[in-house]
Amino acid sequence: MPTSRSSRIRLLVAEQAARRGARVGVMDVCTAAVASLPVGGAGVSVMFRTGASHPLCSTDDVSEQLEELQLTLGEGPCVDAFTHGAAVLTPDLRTGELQDCWPVFADAALESGALAVFALPLQIGAISPGVLDLYAPVPVRLDTEELADALAFADLATLVLLDTRIDETGASGKGQSEDLGGYRAEISQATGMLTVQLGVGIEEAFVRLRAHAYAHGRRLTVVSADVVAGRLRFSPDAEPTRSDEDT
Amino acid sequence: MMDERLLAKTFVELADTLVADFDLIDFLRLLTDRCVGMLGASAAGVLLADRDGELRVMAASDEQVRLLELFQLQNDEGPCLDCYRTGTPVAVPDLCTETARWPRFAARAQLHGFSAVQALPMRLRDEVVGALNLFRAAPGPFDPMGTPIAQALADVATISLLQQRTTQRTTVLNEQLQTALNSRVLIEQAKGKLAERQGIDMEQAFTALRSYARAHNRRLIDVARAFIDDTEPLADLVS
Repeated sequence: MPTSRSSRIRLLVAEQAARRGARVGVMDVCTAAVASLPVGGAGVSVMFRTGASHPLCSTDDVSEQLEELQLTLGEGPCVDAFTHGAAVLTPDLRTGELQDCWPVFADAALESGALAVFALPLQIGAISPGVLDLYAPVPVRLDTEELADALAFADLATLVLLDTRIDETGASGKGQSEDLGGYRAEISQATGMLTVQLGVGIEEAFVRLRAHAYAHGRRLTVVSADVVAGRLRFSPDAEPTRSDEDT
Repeated sequence: MMDERLLAKTFVELADTLVADFDLIDFLRLLTDRCVGMLGASAAGVLLADRDGELRVMAASDEQVRLLELFQLQNDEGPCLDCYRTGTPVAVPDLCTETARWPRFAARAQLHGFSAVQALPMRLRDEVVGALNLFRAAPGPFDPMGTPIAQALADVATISLLQQRTTQRTTVLNEQLQTALNSRVLIEQAKGKLAERQGIDMEQAFTALRSYARAHNRRLIDVARAFIDDTEPLADLVS
């Protein structure tokens, strides 16, 4: 069985963290992406629908400038990727139509030294905590493999970003965050159900679901199936309750 | 015997829906429903490969967990996996004969009342992007007239994925597939929320979301997002 793309990317990111001697963070996703893709820098911005967005990290000055530019101007590939929930790939910023699309950003980005910009939304359905931006100092087109890798980096960044919130909930955090390869519909259904059971937003529901799985050393898919079948119920002010009537 | 008028009507209906700003999720559900109606199938599903080559359900003729599970189980073994890997159709008239080939899948399918299964590749140029999966309750040979029609429906499903033009300038295939799969995740989240809130099952939740989207002339995905984000009241979502 060949290693899946997700596991390979996960390993690359873990290596970066090991080099720093720290736990995996969003910055490690950025440095690993820069090391394996034909790009010069990477950055992640945390974004909210309400607009209170902020840059989280970046690998170099150009990336940092790009993040800040877009959030300040409210325009650019990162903003579009977030709004439409789809990657925005810009192999060459000098293209006329892009100058029309992002009149201020395009010029400012070129001036700061970016010629190609790729913005990948961090998302799991309606959960969309931010955007991963990659830039290159020369015009470049990502080929199929590179784009698939870039998308995998973005997915991992999403989980890593949400994992920092799991730590805040006080769940053990000992477990490795689970690879979402082997995606199952129940995970999403259970997440939707928890928004009602807990009275929280979709992102918080997903964090709580994963925190529960970690804390109990159970697989996310198994916990999710229990929620969907009604064997496990969460409540805002108590420990989740299990009923084993139909196990 | 295939009803030719029904066949013609179905393709006209699908073509009519496949306009510029169409609703991918709603369209694929319609397609799986027509597979059931026209091809004598008991259940149908459209599975799409993600960038890891994992098959994921994009649409199903029934939104209940047990059916989705049966499609997804085939990432380990089953006709869809074989079909996806070889790019050729797989037809099994009687699952009893395949318990050695797919022990877990065959047992599970039979447990849910299915005896025959068929998988048709979704091809795009040289690439296989997924498979159309049909289940039938009764064992027995597949109507030879039905197979080319099933393949035509699989091809229509593939075309619809490419039709999914967003406002982006990107037309890269695997990015489009990824976006499509993400929209499916969003639908699942909305189903879960609505099912829990109303005390209804996943199929009823899906139907309610779809009816609302249609009645208000909006895309299912936009309604699902608004529902999850609580950004709109969505009055009379479930009456």
